[in-house]
Amino acid sequence: MTAPKHTPLWTAALTLLLFTSKSLSATPTPADPAFFNAKIRPILEEHCFDCHGPEKQKNKLRLDNTVGVVQGGESGEPLLQAGLSAESYIIKRVTSENPKEVMPPKGDKLSAEQVELLRNWIDGGAKMHGKEEAQASLRIKTEHWSFQPIKTPAIPGAPASLKTFAQSEIDAFVAQKLQGKALAPSPTADRATLIRRLYLVMHGMPPSPEEVSAFLDDNTPDAYARLVDRVLASPRYGERWARHWMDVVRYADTDGFERNRERKTAYPYRDYLIASLNADKPYSQFLKEQLAGDSLGVDAATGFLVAGPFDSVKSSDKNLTLMQRQDELADIVNTTGTAFLGLTMGCARCHNHKFDPILQKDYYAMQAIFAGVHPGERPLREKSTPETALKLAELKILEDAKNRELDAYRKMAPVSKPAASSGGKRPPVTAVLNEETFEPVEAKAVRFTIEATAGAEPCIDEIEVFDSTGKNIALASEGAKASASGTLLGYAIHKLEHINDGQFGNEHSWIANTKGSAWIQIDFPSPSQIKSVRWSRARDGRHSDRVPTQYKIEAVIPDGGSKQIASSQDREPFTGKRSADATLANLPPAEAAAAEKIKKELADLKTEMSGLSHVSWVGRFDQTPAPTHRLYRGEPTQERELVAPDSLSVLGTLGLDTQTPDQVRRLKIADWITSPENPLTSRVLVNRLWHYIFGTGIVDTPSDFGLNGGRPTHPELLDWLAADFMTHGWSIKHTLRRILLSSTFQQSSAPNDTAARVDADGRFLWRYTPRRLEAEAIRDSMLAVSGAMDLKMGGPGFYLMDVVNENVMHYFPKEKYDAADFRRMVYLFRIRAAQDGVFGAFDCPDGGSVMARRSRSNTPLQALNLFNSSFVTQQSELLSQRLLKQAGNSPVARASLAFQLFYGRNPDAFEEKNSIAFIGAHGLHSFARSLFNTSEFLFVF
Amino acid sequence: MHPLLNRRDFLSHTATGLGGIALTHLLGRDRALANPVPIRPEINPANPNAPRAPHFAPRAKRVLMIFCSGAVSQIDTFDYKPELIKRHGEPMPGAEGLITFQGAQGNLNRSPWEFRPRGQSGKMVSDLVPHLGALADEMCFIHSLTGKTNTHGPGENFMATGFTLDGFPSMGAWATYALGSENDTLPAYVAIPDPRGAPQSAGNFWGPGFLPAAFQGTDFNATQPLRNLTRPSVFTEQTDRASREFIATLNRHHLERFPGDSELAARISSYELAARMQLSVPEVADISSEPAHILKMYGADEAGDPVKDLKAAYARNCILARRLVEKGVRFVQLFNGAYQTGGEGVSNWDGHKSLEPQYVKHGEVMDQPTAALLKDLKQRGLLADTLVVWCTEFGRMPTFQKGASGRDHNPNGFTAWLAGAGVKHGYTYGATDEFGYKAVEKVAPVYDFHATILEILGLRHTQLSFYHNGIERRLTDVHGNVLTDILS
Repeated sequence: MTAPKHTPLWTAALTLLLFTSKSLSATPTPADPAFFNAKIRPILEEHCFDCHGPEKQKNKLRLDNTVGVVQGGESGEPLLQAGLSAESYIIKRVTSENPKEVMPPKGDKLSAEQVELLRNWIDGGAKMHGKEEAQASLRIKTEHWSFQPIKTPAIPGAPASLKTFAQSEIDAFVAQKLQGKALAPSPTADRATLIRRLYLVMHGMPPSPEEVSAFLDDNTPDAYARLVDRVLASPRYGERWARHWMDVVRYADTDGFERNRERKTAYPYRDYLIASLNADKPYSQFLKEQLAGDSLGVDAATGFLVAGPFDSVKSSDKNLTLMQRQDELADIVNTTGTAFLGLTMGCARCHNHKFDPILQKDYYAMQAIFAGVHPGERPLREKSTPETALKLAELKILEDAKNRELDAYRKMAPVSKPAASSGGKRPPVTAVLNEETFEPVEAKAVRFTIEATAGAEPCIDEIEVFDSTGKNIALASEGAKASASGTLLGYAIHKLEHINDGQFGNEHSWIANTKGSAWIQIDFPSPSQIKSVRWSRARDGRHSDRVPTQYKIEAVIPDGGSKQIASSQDREPFTGKRSADATLANLPPAEAAAAEKIKKELADLKTEMSGLSHVSWVGRFDQTPAPTHRLYRGEPTQERELVAPDSLSVLGTLGLDTQTPDQVRRLKIADWITSPENPLTSRVLVNRLWHYIFGTGIVDTPSDFGLNGGRPTHPELLDWLAADFMTHGWSIKHTLRRILLSSTFQQSSAPNDTAARVDADGRFLWRYTPRRLEAEAIRDSMLAVSGAMDLKMGGPGFYLMDVVNENVMHYFPKEKYDAADFRRMVYLFRIRAAQDGVFGAFDCPDGGSVMARRSRSNTPLQALNLFNSSFVTQQSELLSQRLLKQAGNSPVARASLAFQLFYGRNPDAFEEKNSIAFIGAHGLHSFARSLFNTSEFLFVF
Repeated sequence: MHPLLNRRDFLSHTATGLGGIALTHLLGRDRALANPVPIRPEINPANPNAPRAPHFAPRAKRVLMIFCSGAVSQIDTFDYKPELIKRHGEPMPGAEGLITFQGAQGNLNRSPWEFRPRGQSGKMVSDLVPHLGALADEMCFIHSLTGKTNTHGPGENFMATGFTLDGFPSMGAWATYALGSENDTLPAYVAIPDPRGAPQSAGNFWGPGFLPAAFQGTDFNATQPLRNLTRPSVFTEQTDRASREFIATLNRHHLERFPGDSELAARISSYELAARMQLSVPEVADISSEPAHILKMYGADEAGDPVKDLKAAYARNCILARRLVEKGVRFVQLFNGAYQTGGEGVSNWDGHKSLEPQYVKHGEVMDQPTAALLKDLKQRGLLADTLVVWCTEFGRMPTFQKGASGRDHNPNGFTAWLAGAGVKHGYTYGATDEFGYKAVEKVAPVYDFHATILEILGLRHTQLSFYHNGIERRLTDVHGNVLTDILS
């Protein structure tokens, strides 16, 4: 080993001198802080300082001072755990056998003696001089603007030239910046432009010609303010703005991933969003409900937690399963971080955040908040009234009784004996019922070994074993005990005890936790002479997947050993054909008819009950969540210390322990996020409002207020809006109204070369910057203009895809549409990883990830879709009929009505002349088609 | 304890009481150091697919990616393992209790197809793909690819986008975002779905993810025309033309009120490009002008049974791919195999239960047309500046599944090959173990594969990024090393 390169000899000598006197008196014990300098530092100096010393700090690790040792490297991995050398990272690295891991990577390894010294020091508490000070110096801090408290800045006085413009507080802040940039605001937009802008921004649809003329004719001074009130009071507002929120929370109606199954019960969350926005629910409450609505009487709100993609393909590979769960939780943590706090928590999953004050530990503390949340369905209790609850209970009793009746019929039905096949083999296994008969044998147990299935993990609803008297001795009620290789976790309907509970059907079945193969054993209370076994996948014939197709059954002999009594070897191969509830057909006709009637009644009961219980995709909760560990580099197999649920340490702590129940965790984090002292929550929200109104936020990265995000162009305005928002009860409509009533919003969008040279993007708001409408607003506007729009609110969505349901789902864009498809696009059944054939090309997100800010492309595919699609052809036809009906035969009247519908104004002379000529030559249908393709229709100005 | 008050004075502590990190110094200073500075393509909104310069001189100008859906078995095609043949029927050593995607493993199972030395290089390729085998001297094999998942959907996402999760841009979208297109009458990025349908992750395969929609792939094939490309029959050609002019008249008139507005100008020009595409796309997709010997070379003239019909349909897609490459389309993605339909392994390479009878058909469909495509590109000189990539989502096991005659998923070591511009020819990189189970030599995660493809296009994978949700996102995430050994 070479001498340390960078330590001048005299320093080393001095150190030696200093310690010599001490060591003469007494060698420090490992529990003495002096032990570090005496025994440990020299080891580190010899082996580590080259890369982790004063000159170089690889992976930001520095070992030549106390602060560095306390801090550790950038991986977030604590270097050591005081008192626990066996658990300590530094010991693992210096003793590793893996050449890629061992430290130092080159040169001599630490000697056994040196490792022992290190261990002793750690086990002695890893004492060091100045450790407390070092810890104190590492208090997490940040100067970043968004973490600073929200101030209520003074309203700047407007210069004389901008007095007219600077009517409101918002305008005063805007005027100040404009003046600073030597820019001037634009004049107020004309009224027709203004009402159209207001409707497109706030409703995502243009105003009707009647609404336009009423506004133009209203000469009262507060005409515009009353218009704003009307617009905010309209239910169209909630629909439009819920769609924005759905982008932010990655909402879609299918699972995504390979199977991409439909979530037919996800929509109540969407209905909740629309209703909450229309009711102007305080944002703090809105936010709390989405995190913990189950404690607040709003079950539908927690759809937020599980709105993201869900990988439903489970495998027998343990590591894959762990990773899937980590990804699920990451989705919830990331979405909570970006949606509410504007922070990219996901970056800290593998290491401390590179830019923002988020530790890796913080990520896992936040993950622990959600550790009890699982994708899935839950009944919506708010939909339950005392009457429905009572009714449900009654129906449940009725259902149980009917099931018992039906089971009685099943038991009395003889097993059908299919004709013997030519090969002399027994018939193939069926999902419904299989009988195995054999020479009677004395057995203390029966073991059923499954070798292959019709797909996925095997499922059996019941195994019956009959003794020589014909009694089923496998029943748990007779004292038999079932055991199995494993049981699929998390499903109340699939439990081991169902295998011998005397109840049939998928709802009372067992599913193994391994694909293809598994075993079940039933031990009898005492050895018995057995002569047959009956088993089934789903005796009600409603399920035929997961059937064991290759199996053997053995009798466990009392004296030891076992004997095979049946197997699939002598059966015809499984055909996979779904069998009806075949045994029932073997009943005498009267009983068979009675049984059929019960089945029909049960089906009706089921429909009625699911209607009453309002089960919805809003997540399942586990009140005692699995423990959360910090994961080294985010690897699920690399568990480190336990982490308690908590907030970001830079902003305080919730003080919860690892045993805190799920609901409390989520309520606490919701309280923390909505605390008026949280500097992020209100800033992020008012900025989103600004973003959706002006096309760009005061911060142009609406979901990233971290160091990598944009800086506010108007920081004082942002703070003023955030403070004003909170003091007005977190009312979204209040802040929207303030913005909409500002001169800033009411400016003309006309270009101005001089201003554009200074600020081309209009970030300083010298005009209202035009932009293309989003996919939803374009489609809704088309339907509004054509008159086809169906304004039915709420409930299940409509489809723009045809669905082919196999093991995985396939979706194909529809080519034909009927009136049921002409609802607002917010109600579209949104399918992940599949885009609508017309509007998918308009930067329309599919819920694959959070979309805080959509792109605005203008592409030839969009042009083709608007020019040639059957949707637009159909809407054009509907519009031409409307024009015919409402404007009669006059070409002038037709053109005029069309322009009013499309643009909220009459055509000018040039447009009128060209329109009349075009209608004359090519007809109304083509005229309508053309107007749907014009820029003025597709943009907001 | 009330949170939030002592923001500036809070001691962060891990379970051990050690650990915190001072972030004051991290903020700001490290921002510049953390990653190479992104090189942002300058996108002109009026023509987002205008050609753009790469980061450095490229080895290839465009990519043809052939993706075989369902996970092609390396064991039965390109990864020759004499030891596997020798130990056929024995348990795989060290694999006791090994549980893969569908469950337990049976014994080692040699490929039912013989391997033979091919070409000058003597590369061993199986009889399942003899036509491709004959071109082994053109190919650069990578036998040591590794994936991150053993499930098709996430696996396809990973090969397509570099992430197993949904929501990320595809490789073609990245390439188009960086480089635009050299053809202004065709889409910059075309995906050609298999005649049987799209792969399961289709939406992610050619989707834009979070990139602007201008960079998404346009999907059509030789039988399924581009959606909404043709004039609706209710409108006459004359009306159609007049409508286009009328739209332009109104849009230009409107633009007079907003002179120089780039978004409005972009919309007008998008209609002009759409009109050009309406002529050029049907023209490029119409392969009826191809001479008989070309159809025969690809197998596009075959018919008579379901397999031959399918082969001919795939062959026509191969011809379409060549025609698009000829026209300078930046990124062409050709699919062999569809989503799972009709049962496992029927419509794609997912041979779990009875691999041999299924692969006979898949081999027949894929081999000759793909080989013809490669030969045709070569004889037209197109391989000089086109990179051809053949890949699949992951590999398969050298064992048969317990109680079955097929192979389970295996992301631990699988094969892809490259050909054409930028890579060594008749070259083999990396290796799996003696049975073909795990990559052991020059292990190449898919990230490296992606980094290398970008490198060949003249793009530094660490610098091609797009800001999304707080992160400079890259095709290769925070990973990737260019496989410099395979570069020509």
